Amino acid sequence: MSDLQPQPQPSSSSSPPSSFTFPPEYHFPPFFTRQRNLTTHHAQLVKWSNLVLSYCRHHRILKLSMSGTSGFAMPSPNLTLPVVSSGGNSSSNNPGPYPPSLILGEVTAGSSVVEVDTSELFHNRKLNRRLALADIRSVIDFLRKDGRAEYVSTGKKEPSEGDLAWIYWRTPEEWAGLVEAWVDATGQRGSVLTVYELIEGDGTLGTEFHGLDQELLLKALNVLVKRGKAQIFGQEDSRGVKFF
Amino acid sequence: MSRRGVGLAAFDRSRITSAQFASHGSSLRSANAAALQTQLEVFRSLLQQFAQQHGREIRSNPTFRAQFARMCAAIGVDPLASSGTGSGSGAGGGSLGGSVWSQLLGRTVNDFYFELAVRVVEVCSETRNENGGLIELRKVQERIMKGRPEGAGEITEDDILRAVGTLKPLGSAYSIIKVGSKSYIRSIPKELNTDQSAVLEAVQVLGYVSVSMLMVNLHWTRARAQTALEDLEGEGILWVDKQAEEEWEYWSPSFILENPDFAVGG
Repeated sequence: MSDLQPQPQPSSSSSPPSSFTFPPEYHFPPFFTRQRNLTTHHAQLVKWSNLVLSYCRHHRILKLSMSGTSGFAMPSPNLTLPVVSSGGNSSSNNPGPYPPSLILGEVTAGSSVVEVDTSELFHNRKLNRRLALADIRSVIDFLRKDGRAEYVSTGKKEPSEGDLAWIYWRTPEEWAGLVEAWVDATGQRGSVLTVYELIEGDGTLGTEFHGLDQELLLKALNVLVKRGKAQIFGQEDSRGVKFF
Repeated sequence: MSRRGVGLAAFDRSRITSAQFASHGSSLRSANAAALQTQLEVFRSLLQQFAQQHGREIRSNPTFRAQFARMCAAIGVDPLASSGTGSGSGAGGGSLGGSVWSQLLGRTVNDFYFELAVRVVEVCSETRNENGGLIELRKVQERIMKGRPEGAGEITEDDILRAVGTLKPLGSAYSIIKVGSKSYIRSIPKELNTDQSAVLEAVQVLGYVSVSMLMVNLHWTRARAQTALEDLEGEGILWVDKQAEEEWEYWSPSFILENPDFAVGG
């Protein structure tokens, strides 16, 4: 099983990606077929969403991409875990109907996106079973109801039908809590920091949000803004934030 | 006694005789009751003593516990009878409140099984959505063992059977059914028909069956096999796998295993 490497600068706090232990149901063939009994299906959705969350947490995956609509096409055999990391180039090895730029366009530093079409998460090669795209979407919808997923709005499409979804193994609120706790612990209330500093600065080394996707961090900071705990100012590339 | 009582005295005499019989009878009864009382006292104190002495062992040692339960059964005592309806508790049971035996045995034995019963109920309701309320006894045992602290002693299938028995007075739906060689706990009150039982038995072999497997092995018609499988799927007892190579396979969630050695191939 291949690792997430190479990642240009692995976030300090995350342990080196050891292999993920799949839950028992991952080895149960019917798990990959949408169950027709509603109660069973609900149990199945619960299991799938737990699996998706723990898998993404383990590999620090923030987004799932459903743009590859190639259905049951076999992925390239040597690619067990195609992760598009910040410097990611694997999408170019991975010809899909969408140009790589579209996938990479959403990716900012430190975030990783997994293409559901090729990920082992939804495809158990040993069993030769995979979860169909429509069923993956039901899982995402199930997570959305729980506040654990959200479609990325591209501006072009309705957010509910996006091809890219945030997987919140930590919700923006939870990230906000981490940032706030760090601000408190380091006595930086009242001071001004740039977003870049928060993500890349030495000060946040060792925190969970060091190296976090900028968009997600901004979501978290906006939670703090709403609570009146922070203020964001500045332009696109040079945003600053003041904590109260 | 004269053959033919003459006059009114005959009535008196018979009245006296029956009174004497009655008084003798009651004295016999009370003597008998006293003797029984003493015996019961002795038995009670001995049993109490036994349970106290071996309470810890009864809780921790499954073999000992089984022996104790067997001994109780042999002398007609149900250590788990939880209400006055238990054997011989008749009049006394009500006033004592709770089981005569729970008083005799201290709370050790009863509590052990009641606590276990609570865990059984928990496991059944946690997994009900995924297995339609039918779970293998062995699975329940595994899950309970996993949840127990280190060194808490082993739980045997026998214990779980008894624990499920303690749920009976609650009028609950929990029951044990046997299919083939395996016991299941049914936590939804629904009967399986013979075809469904036959399918479940067949599923035990490989973890799944298909329509044609049933047709070949049980000599069923396609419609019969189809119906039995779809019924079980409809009740949530079997999961369908539509990605199998030749035809749909119907799987038992009992085969969601930690160690999927069976899954090789395909």
